[in-house]
Amino acid sequence: MKLIVKIIIIFLISITLNAREIGETEITTEDGIEVFQNEKFYLLKKNVNIISDNFTLSADEVKINFDKSLYDITELDANGNVDFKSNEFEIIGNGNFLNFKVKIEKIKVEGEESQLITSDVKMFSDGFIEVNNLNGDFLLKGINSKLVNENIIIKAETINGKFSENNNEKEITYLEVIDKNISYIKNNDTEMYAKKINFDYNTSIIELIDDVIIIRDEEKITGDYGTLDTRNNSYKIKSNNQNKVKVIIQNNE
Amino acid sequence: MIIFYKQINLNNIIIENTKNNFSNADISEPKFAINNESKNIYITASQGNFLNKDEVLLNKNVRFKSNDFSIETEKVIFNRDKQTAKSRTKSMFKSKNATISSDGFNIHDKGNIIIFYGNSNIILK
Repeated sequence: MKLIVKIIIIFLISITLNAREIGETEITTEDGIEVFQNEKFYLLKKNVNIISDNFTLSADEVKINFDKSLYDITELDANGNVDFKSNEFEIIGNGNFLNFKVKIEKIKVEGEESQLITSDVKMFSDGFIEVNNLNGDFLLKGINSKLVNENIIIKAETINGKFSENNNEKEITYLEVIDKNISYIKNNDTEMYAKKINFDYNTSIIELIDDVIIIRDEEKITGDYGTLDTRNNSYKIKSNNQNKVKVIIQNNE
Repeated sequence: MIIFYKQINLNNIIIENTKNNFSNADISEPKFAINNESKNIYITASQGNFLNKDEVLLNKNVRFKSNDFSIETEKVIFNRDKQTAKSRTKSMFKSKNATISSDGFNIHDKGNIIIFYGNSNIILK
């Protein structure tokens, strides 16, 4: 009985010694830590868990670069079954690999079924998703890349763009979408297909290049080049061959 | 008188030997250092036993101390020639705003590389 009490006391003391307090970050590993003091990084091995007030991360292995001391983290690379959540940036994500550059707030999630979800935007890719939180730049590259927010759905192999803060909401102000097969954008009531789709907030014009299809209501128009003005929702389609522009009025009845 | 004096001396020798046998240590309060270009790591312990020409088993209150960090544990094998240290006992690393607890450690490359073994826990403040 005394032995059990002693074991419980020792266990509770060891928990108290290792327990994280508010403002602290706790990292646990199952197979140790390798600290390289001259090179200024440490490796966290096997089933790594990082918990702080505003951030949690789990991964198979993690490499952390530091500046002055171990706590002064500059960059984090997480490898294998990466899962993370940041309350501060209202972001959750997962993938096979994560790179986070702390000072410039640049995050990259890589691998099959990668996800990066914020309060405004959901991003998915089997390649990689990269977001710079400071300047709003984002890039999704690889098959099954998809970006979804309240007003827009974008699917393509490459989705390159920029978010800007407008009335506390993230708005896409620049967009370059490329897919060698076909890119897809759904904006409000309009669906657009093309090999390349550009958008510039300043001109409010969505530009569609090659194998263009615009579908709205029961109307389907195809051509080689098209533009859609997001201010008045009007669009134009041209063709390299004048006879090629085709309009199909669908009857759903 | 001479015989009596010799007896006293013999008694002293016996007492000293007994003391050594009891502590079972080759060195009491051993002190070593790992030196590299940028910093020195000073090693102290309560006891030390030579395992061979280069290796010393440090026992009880083993402490590594540099300007940047300290490590405390109970048993360490220190290699004086290679300037390495290995431990498989519970260890506690402390530096400014960081502590690491582990199931042992290995210091090599003149203290540049420290490997902490087993289930490890870091607290960053």
